[in-house]
Amino acid sequence: MKLFWSFARQNFHALAAYRFDFFLRASSIVILMYAIRWLWIALYTQRPSAFGVSLQQMVTYGVLSMAIQNLFYTDPAYYMARQMRTGAIDLDLLKPMDFHLHMLARSAGEMLFRVCVLALPGILIGYLLFDLRLPANWQAGFFFLVAFLLGYLVSFHLGFVLGLLSFVSIEIHSIDWAFHATERFFSGQFIPLWLLPGILGSLAAILPFRSIYATPLSIYTGVLEGEAIAQAVGFQLIWLLTLFLLSHWLWARIQVRIISQGG
Amino acid sequence: MNAFQLYFRLIQISLLSRMQYRADFIAGILGLLFWNVINIGLIGILVTQFTSLKDWTLWEVVFLYSLWILGYSVYGLFFSHTEALENYLIEGSFDQFLLRPASPLIQLLGREFQFNEIANVLIGLTGISLAYTRLDLHWDGWRWGFFIAAVVSGGMIVLAINLLVACTGFWTGRSRGTAFIVNQFYGLVHQYPVDIFGNAFRVIVTGLIPVAFMNYYPALVLLDKVNYASRGWVLSYMSPLVALLLVGIVSVVWRLGLNRYSSSGS
Repeated sequence: MKLFWSFARQNFHALAAYRFDFFLRASSIVILMYAIRWLWIALYTQRPSAFGVSLQQMVTYGVLSMAIQNLFYTDPAYYMARQMRTGAIDLDLLKPMDFHLHMLARSAGEMLFRVCVLALPGILIGYLLFDLRLPANWQAGFFFLVAFLLGYLVSFHLGFVLGLLSFVSIEIHSIDWAFHATERFFSGQFIPLWLLPGILGSLAAILPFRSIYATPLSIYTGVLEGEAIAQAVGFQLIWLLTLFLLSHWLWARIQVRIISQGG
Repeated sequence: MNAFQLYFRLIQISLLSRMQYRADFIAGILGLLFWNVINIGLIGILVTQFTSLKDWTLWEVVFLYSLWILGYSVYGLFFSHTEALENYLIEGSFDQFLLRPASPLIQLLGREFQFNEIANVLIGLTGISLAYTRLDLHWDGWRWGFFIAAVVSGGMIVLAINLLVACTGFWTGRSRGTAFIVNQFYGLVHQYPVDIFGNAFRVIVTGLIPVAFMNYYPALVLLDKVNYASRGWVLSYMSPLVALLLVGIVSVVWRLGLNRYSSSGS
């Protein structure tokens, strides 16, 4: 565990060196929060309290989604593909820690860093300027945090599996893209999943992506309550376990096949 | 060899080198197609579930989206290497463009022909034709002319804005950050009608980063949505003018930048 934090901290500090970059991401979050708020206002003038959700809840959903969006994309796949391409991957393999855990530590450091410099300020600005409301009760707040953490872990493992695939095929740029597009569609980041019609809705209900945005945000805004929270969190746990096992199985098979290009 | 001949010769060379990786090529195109379909799908669902987006119907939003992407593909196909300027400046490899006896700008732009952008052309044309039939439009010759002018102006506007942003690298070294912010505005104007947002946004995308002239303003004309009672109606016709103005500005700034350039020496 100590080692885990040392790797996490290392990446945290490495990122803190790029202040300008984070200033930009922060401004982009503000722009997006502004835009999403107006978008929902425009849509709700069309159809007030559509699908039994109030404008207030919807704006909170959208603005919060923009504030936390950077937390999920720590992109282990990108890092792993780059290390593989440049041959630097053998340095990662030499580290005195299980590779899977090492990647998780890197990613967690990045995520925590972004919580501090992007998400928390973003939520504050959203609260002050864009009608982001606090959760209705402490349960909603608490289970939001739980669901957020699980969502993050699901997102990390999806990225990790993708990264492992890059070890086999070298070039995964396009797969990565298609994957992120699918994720965008089914995660509930932009449009809440209750708006998806027919088969798309059923697909969203079984794919892992809804763990990422839809579950935490629906809990926060009070769209999911009581037993529905337990169900949604249980769904996250099932997918997390599946992806965890898949990662281990894949890693065991791929590890022996890695041929480094010698950097 | 004049500038145009030189440009196309360079493009030809870059295309040949790109064709070495055919699988990548095809994967790139498919990826872009998929990305656009997902994007249009998301907006489409939003608009249908709420019947319209302010006074924009589903197919009008598709029209906006497609007009933007057609303009962008003109830039993307021919001029997208603009964004690489920062790397040349930082690495000091920009010197190569100054040593050869040809216009540095032509050499820079000729470096890359983004064949992937064919996907955007396809999406744009499909979107426009679908919207044209669904909305039962009947353009006269003048409108067709304005449509083509709008697409070309769109390409010039992106080129000018991106090159202006890249040129700031001559002074500051870094330009990627500004480009990142500008891209956020691109994305929003690309997907949503500007009038659903507040006034501050409208002022920015009209005056400061005039990306609304790529699709929103010309679409008002092409879809017969111009409100002649409002003060700003004349803006709807201004895209070609804005494009010319921007190209004028950027050519001056480019020259200033070249004069200012001193190699990083690495």
